Amino acid sequence: METIENNELTAERSLEIITKQIEQSRKAVSKSTGQALYVAGLSMMAMSIVIAITNYLTKTPLGHLLWFLLPLVIIWAQKKNKEREHAPVSLIGSLVGKTWWTFATFTLVFFLITIIWNSVAARLYQPDAYMLLRIRVTPIIVLLMGMTVTITGHILRSRWLVVFGFIAGIGTCLWEWLGISEALFIRVAGQSLSELGLVRPILHCFTYLLFAFFGMALPGYLLKRQRL
Amino acid sequence: MNFKPLDPLLHSELRLAVMSLLIASEEAEFSYIKEQTGATAGNLSVQIDKLSTAGYIQVEKTFKGKKPCTLCRITAEGHTAFENYVKALRTYLRVK
Repeated sequence: METIENNELTAERSLEIITKQIEQSRKAVSKSTGQALYVAGLSMMAMSIVIAITNYLTKTPLGHLLWFLLPLVIIWAQKKNKEREHAPVSLIGSLVGKTWWTFATFTLVFFLITIIWNSVAARLYQPDAYMLLRIRVTPIIVLLMGMTVTITGHILRSRWLVVFGFIAGIGTCLWEWLGISEALFIRVAGQSLSELGLVRPILHCFTYLLFAFFGMALPGYLLKRQRL
Repeated sequence: MNFKPLDPLLHSELRLAVMSLLIASEEAEFSYIKEQTGATAGNLSVQIDKLSTAGYIQVEKTFKGKKPCTLCRITAEGHTAFENYVKALRTYLRVK
């Protein structure tokens, strides 16, 4: 690393130092955000696997309640990470943090409302009517997450993060909305539509796993390695 | 062309680097500044002390977990001084 001494300097050298240090500061914030995104992505991947196993063993979608633990896992992991790194506190970093907090709060409230609404609707309506009235959580959550990754990319001026967020959010939303997991499951496992009800809670986890990898862990890794 | 005088306190490589790092952040740890500038701890301490005495930065000794940690923040006075320094620099560089 080039060492900066405290000697006299020319105007050009002054400008070079200012530009270089501001750029370094921006990179440090990007790196730190990349690390956070990477950790959150890995935590979400692990959580979707745990939930898929829970849903498989209980034969119910109750495992999805474990998603409420995800913010706690991420907060704990970030705290451990912050103790190690020396990234500066900046306006950009705070903006990214607040964007994710807003997303987390709104998503958790939406998730809670949906659980209540879907449970009530399942008791009040016939199955056909319920299928029309229920709120589909997964496509909306992955879309919101994709939006948050995209906004993060805009704040950090990382074009690739914007692209990753856009593709992962819209891609996994369509994946879930169009029932690609279900179609693939029927095709690969040779199962009938009637058997699909049992595996649907597991297939939702696959959508979250896909998003966590392409929308968070992979771009987070590339960002922390300063490749984006 | 009129050349504006450059603040002698900022017209030093290491002090200018410290101020440029802090201008882009709300606060930064001593170890981060040391890492980014590549300066020795002793030299950096002396320069930070000079900036702090001039009121350009605020130094806070705190703890990060169980480890001691020194936090540096730019003050409003520091912001103004840096702004004036950049304005003065533009006259030397003939930037409009």
